[in-house]
Amino acid sequence: MIALTGPALPPLPPALRAAGPPERRGLRRDEVRLLVVDRGAAEVRHTRFRRLGDFLGSGDLLVVNTSRVLPAGVHAVRESGEALQLRPCIRRRGRWDALAVQAGPPFANVALTPGEVLRAGEHELTVLGRRPDIPLLWQLRVSPADLDLVLRHGEPIRYSYVPEPVALDRYQTVYASRPGSAEAPSAGRPLSWAMLRELRAGGVALADLVLHTGLSSFQDDDFDAEHHLFEEWFEVGPRTARAVAAARRVVAVGTTVVRALESSAGADGRVRATTGWTSLAIGPARPPCVVDALLTGLHEPQASHFDLLRAFVPEPLLRRAYAEAVEHGYLWHEFGDSMLIV
Amino acid sequence: MKQLEGRVALVTGASRGLGCAIALAFAREGAALSLCARAAGPLEAVAAECRSPGAEVLAVAADVALAADRERLVSLTLDRFGRVDVLVNNASTLGPTPLPLLADLDPGAFEEVVRVNLVAPFALTRALVGGMLLRGTGLVVNVSSDAAVNGYAGWGAYSAAKAGLDGLTRVWAAELAGTGVTAVSADPGDMDTEMHRAALPDDDPLGLARPEDVAESFVRLAAAPSLAAEAALALDAPAARLEAASLRKVAS
Repeated sequence: MIALTGPALPPLPPALRAAGPPERRGLRRDEVRLLVVDRGAAEVRHTRFRRLGDFLGSGDLLVVNTSRVLPAGVHAVRESGEALQLRPCIRRRGRWDALAVQAGPPFANVALTPGEVLRAGEHELTVLGRRPDIPLLWQLRVSPADLDLVLRHGEPIRYSYVPEPVALDRYQTVYASRPGSAEAPSAGRPLSWAMLRELRAGGVALADLVLHTGLSSFQDDDFDAEHHLFEEWFEVGPRTARAVAAARRVVAVGTTVVRALESSAGADGRVRATTGWTSLAIGPARPPCVVDALLTGLHEPQASHFDLLRAFVPEPLLRRAYAEAVEHGYLWHEFGDSMLIV
Repeated sequence: MKQLEGRVALVTGASRGLGCAIALAFAREGAALSLCARAAGPLEAVAAECRSPGAEVLAVAADVALAADRERLVSLTLDRFGRVDVLVNNASTLGPTPLPLLADLDPGAFEEVVRVNLVAPFALTRALVGGMLLRGTGLVVNVSSDAAVNGYAGWGAYSAAKAGLDGLTRVWAAELAGTGVTAVSADPGDMDTEMHRAALPDDDPLGLARPEDVAESFVRLAAAPSLAAEAALALDAPAARLEAASLRKVAS
């Protein structure tokens, strides 16, 4: 549970939830707004994402998550013929831990029966039972060709604030590589190659890792409020470990990068090449020891995202930043504006 | 030592003709392969042949003209291999045959040729170049044609698309300068393939190059992309464009 030290944050005005990609608003991906939280000066500044280079320089290392998003809302049919949507949160060889929801809005949870066989095209998925520690997730037996299944029968996971379908391509970062994320690692979405090249020319180093995201919601407000931790697959390679060691300042593009780097750090605080599963939660109780600065999107304060931010920014300053973001009409969520914490 | 040991190549249109020959040549030289074509049967047959020298091969039945198929191709390839070092944009269509005059060509058919021969190579490059840029290395080879440069009656849609592809390659080359990633157009010349027979059924096959011989030039290109870039410059050719004769020089 998140324990805020002050009064609850006011609810977000619904109009500030970005309903679609910036391109639909006539903006290029890198033309969204940028809220800058300058901890040293205890200041909040308002600018454009394109000006990111003003806040970074030689000695800085920008670390991006190259996980490619999957169309993880998979159309499946029950033996009865009833259509539903499976949302794999965790994919292992031969096994999914997936949410089972209605085939259309409001995508409410559907109760499956252990032993029943679901079909997606020619693929079969067998229901084993509920996952004991996260009972809204169903454990399903799937074939090893499950990536093909998802790619052929899935659509991007979409929440109620995005009323019209959005093409998968619109969710990808410009460097998306190894597929596996159920939802977009959206902090990196605004980065264009034009900007990455300018940053490199300005002496900013670039490194990459992979962390595949799970689901940000289980389609049940009460259940979501319990903040069940689940594991995510990540890969930090030796080149990135070396780059982190050499960097003066490590700037994580997204909370996924924070989780991956912090999970790769040993007791000595040094990052080593690591692959595996992590359910590490960064927050005031477990502050970062590797990551110095953070580029992230704007997410609603009730989410565990806010807890992570509190590990980087004193709460009064964070609250001020959020209040100014609302006042200035910043847009929230995966297609919205960005925040830089330096 | 095999020339392409440790390299990952994605070849489109790999089930026959030049694409098939390139796939086999790359496999013999130790490359790991992702092969794409529309028809699963013929594609699997080529994949099996590529596996016999021990190559790791992923076969993906996909139509490069369709965005969803391209996403599946890219996603499955990157899942299997983690990266692509060499992209060979070879899949191509003539459009309707016997080749009609432009005045008789259906605009829908024209668009389809452009989708396969120009849009698909752009979209696949765009999807894979990010990884190449992060690693600071990579090669994109766009298969061109004499029809890109000369105007032959009947070749309208194909010519337009291939000329466009050459233009695209030139801009990629300009934008990628200094990044370690190379883009070239390679014009293999007239070859004894099904496509050539469909276009020019009366041509004597003995006068045509064999795809297997042309494929060797592609191996050399893939093995030493910087040579490709230099070769294109040195020959005072239009930027980033290698013609059959210069391709053979690269191969020797």
